Amino acid sequence: MSVVDFHRIHHAYERGNQVLRDVSFTVERRQVLGLLGKNGAGKTTLLRLAMGLLKAQEGEVRLLGLDPRERPLEVKLRVGYVSEDQILPPALRVRQVLDFHRGVFPTWDEEVARRLGERFEIPSEAKIKTLSRGQVRQVALLCAIAHRPELLILDEPAGGLDPAARREFLETSIQLLNEAGSTILFSSHYMSDVERLADRIVMLHDGGVLVDSELDELRESYSLAMVPAGPETSPERLRALAGCTSVRRRGDSLHLVFELEPQAAESLLERELGIANSRCSALALEEMFIELVGGQAPESS
Amino acid sequence: MQIHITSASDLPIYRQIMRQIVDAVAGDRLRPGDKLTSQRELAEQLVVSPLTVKKAYDELEREGLIQTQRGRGTFVAARATAVDPAAQRQRLREMVRRLLSRAHLGGLDFTSVLALAHEVHAELEAERAAEGGSDNDESGSTPRESESES
Repeated sequence: MSVVDFHRIHHAYERGNQVLRDVSFTVERRQVLGLLGKNGAGKTTLLRLAMGLLKAQEGEVRLLGLDPRERPLEVKLRVGYVSEDQILPPALRVRQVLDFHRGVFPTWDEEVARRLGERFEIPSEAKIKTLSRGQVRQVALLCAIAHRPELLILDEPAGGLDPAARREFLETSIQLLNEAGSTILFSSHYMSDVERLADRIVMLHDGGVLVDSELDELRESYSLAMVPAGPETSPERLRALAGCTSVRRRGDSLHLVFELEPQAAESLLERELGIANSRCSALALEEMFIELVGGQAPESS
Repeated sequence: MQIHITSASDLPIYRQIMRQIVDAVAGDRLRPGDKLTSQRELAEQLVVSPLTVKKAYDELEREGLIQTQRGRGTFVAARATAVDPAAQRQRLREMVRRLLSRAHLGGLDFTSVLALAHEVHAELEAERAAEGGSDNDESGSTPRESESES
């Protein structure tokens, strides 16, 4: 049984504004899946559907085999969730928020809570409303992690955190993976965090799944080629090449992403277009993201 | 074991870990029988997914460079030989390519580069002799000139 199962999800907030179009993928036990996509690609919608906070107009969601709309309590007890805009009661003190969670979750681990609290340096007597955005997020993370959930769902967990706090969050996640073998589904815009934490990537684009791949495989099976723009290298012709997944114009050259290793891409370009001196290279995740879903530069530049 | 990884590299993290362990063995900083940092510990040290570290160790084990002994840990293999000759060759090829481009920019022709290589080789030999080690000499293969590129 998959820990998370999205099956043919369709969702629109209003007519004509289709956010998710036939999205299917699963997350397996102990996997760490990084959900990527531009702003508005539907990441948050998908994670809210997973938590049962929204109802999919079509398709099915299962968490730990359960329907989150039918068994909300059971799901919430076994899943740790941090939303993008965590709302904690402003008037409560940190201590009171923790007391509340301790009372709700039978699996609450005081040792984890204490350790994280020290690490994050969260003042336990402070009121939520006096904390910075990053600190509130850390309190939310602490609450999500300390009940040792079987699955963690994190929507932009590093949003609003400074680099040191982000690294602390990563360290915490990795300890959690080491100790509890949790499964994590998280969305992020920080590609360096994704590279450190994720085993697998799902990239949403235009409402659908553009990439679903093991991270290392993705890193080793794609390459970027740069070729000079010219009559024999029209974007249409390049796009028709086998294995070519995107073409972008940058100045007087064209950037092509191939689902091929660099050397294979070089020989393809030579064979099909007679371009002998193309330079193809592997791509870091950030570059890959931009090449695959980044905007097109104006054609007339 | 000093390993440094960066997420902006065009190498996936497990490859960076593999490469640095290979380099440490090749550079004698890790010797046969030495114990490696445990996978859990290394994941926490480097702040990377435990599965990534596991993948690097599994690959190195498959290549025969390291061995895991149940309950004791992971050790550098007794006969840790140069890893995958094809991969090694590809890496050297990239380095040679960069070297030759640099030389070209610096106005050195190919013959001068070869002369330089001989010079450095002699230096290394002398250093090795001075250390008193009668280590086996694996510099038997001679470079082939046909591989030169602009």
